[in-house]
Amino acid sequence: MRILIVGGGTGGTIVANNLARRLAPEIRARTSKITMLSASDQHMYQPGLLYVAFGQMMPDELYRKQTSLLESSIEFHVDPVDKFELDRNEVRTKSGKTYGYDILVIATGSRVMPRKIPGLEEGSETFYTEAGAVSMFKKLREFEGGNLGIVVGVPHKCPIAPVEVTFSLHDYFKKRGIRDKVNIKYHYPINRIHSIENVAIWAKPEFDRMGVEYETLFNIEEVDAENKIVKSMEGSEYKYDLLISIPEHHGMGVIEDNELGRDGWIPTDRHMLTMEGRDNVYVVGDTTNLPVSKTGSAAHFEAEIIAENIASIIKIGVPVNEYDGKVYCFIEAGHDKATYANFNYENPPDLRAANKSMHWFKMSYNKMYWTSVRGLL
Amino acid sequence: MTTEKEKTPEAMKDIDLEALNEFASLVAAAKDAMTDDMVTRMASAFSEGMTLLDRLTRNEGLIHLLQELDRPENQRFLISLSNAFTAASRDISISPPAKGGVVGICKLGCNSGTQEGLRLVSLIGEHLSESMREMHRRGG
Repeated sequence: MRILIVGGGTGGTIVANNLARRLAPEIRARTSKITMLSASDQHMYQPGLLYVAFGQMMPDELYRKQTSLLESSIEFHVDPVDKFELDRNEVRTKSGKTYGYDILVIATGSRVMPRKIPGLEEGSETFYTEAGAVSMFKKLREFEGGNLGIVVGVPHKCPIAPVEVTFSLHDYFKKRGIRDKVNIKYHYPINRIHSIENVAIWAKPEFDRMGVEYETLFNIEEVDAENKIVKSMEGSEYKYDLLISIPEHHGMGVIEDNELGRDGWIPTDRHMLTMEGRDNVYVVGDTTNLPVSKTGSAAHFEAEIIAENIASIIKIGVPVNEYDGKVYCFIEAGHDKATYANFNYENPPDLRAANKSMHWFKMSYNKMYWTSVRGLL
Repeated sequence: MTTEKEKTPEAMKDIDLEALNEFASLVAAAKDAMTDDMVTRMASAFSEGMTLLDRLTRNEGLIHLLQELDRPENQRFLISLSNAFTAASRDISISPPAKGGVVGICKLGCNSGTQEGLRLVSLIGEHLSESMREMHRRGG
């Protein structure tokens, strides 16, 4: 059985390692083979970018060589896919090679689309890329006071990020002793301060306590970078001195180019995680169009189900498990405390008060991630 | 003298609360002493340790090697090897440097110790090549 995994992020790597463990006898007997194709030989711990943006982590701490994370039985190539030939069970890569498969796992991830909003790229700072996070930290260091706006595009990776960055900004300026000189204003596109209702209920009094202003129903229309004004589709404007943006995300270009899903999100069965209409194609992580958060945590839980089912199909002919929409998100409530949100398709999160132990749990997880992505935790 | 069984529930409650209080103080003290950097370093060591342990315990070659090391004759062999290295190191430190030339080789070849050594090395070579052939036959 030839298993081909396209994408070497959190979801793809966990599927590959988990499968390599489960299929060790079949791989030894050469009846199964796992191949991974990725766009890079480096693996990035993306949640660390928020820490880089506040000078709490250095960019080089976020990277490991992909081969150091993969089981030795997995064949790995840095050769991104260009064309998906799903009817022929083949993909073609940028180098011109063709890879056949019996089972395909698509784990290509997502990307920021700041250029969809005129002026957003020039007029704002964002921490969703390494260069962006470093630039944001430098701007924050230079900032001596004034209006600081946070604007959010949807959908975006890590739905908790807008709230987390707000808490972090409050703590950062408080530590520098200039919090009273900074007016933080949070803008959110729907009619409450977070898409997950219980997160909105939890965060609102915290924002009030910190003196953070907020405006809901603010969908970014354009940014006038020269005059430092951000305008909403609803007609309001905000004059800023520093603008932090969380841009809208799309799936990767190769998914859109191959017309596998609108905006790069592939229609996916919410329980079996197969691509709609294709029983031998699985979709994991950000690439799905599922109504769950686009986070490493969702990718992790999905990846475990996919690996378990592929292994059981190879061993006994049928899948054995279903994804229930589980997501577990840490929420950093500043620089010294945190809480978490645990939820699935049926049960919304029930947030507890933030504390230092949870913050340390998150700090620990930043390192434990490498154990997790190797398929051990 | 009061035994554990004779203690009243109230007394037990006090002891429990005291222990709980002590534990809470310990946790609070640890929290005050720790920094984010310390937590990060410990988590990193734990994470890498777990990975190393996982790789070691799933490494069939290493497990096989450990099983071999459990056999007394292999342990005796390793002890002999270690002793031989120690003795050779001592001997080489007090021997004059070799002068070179065919005569030197002839003299060395006539030495019974050299002949014993060559026989041992050739026997090891013979068994090693048989073992390697067998491993390749099994696809290892």
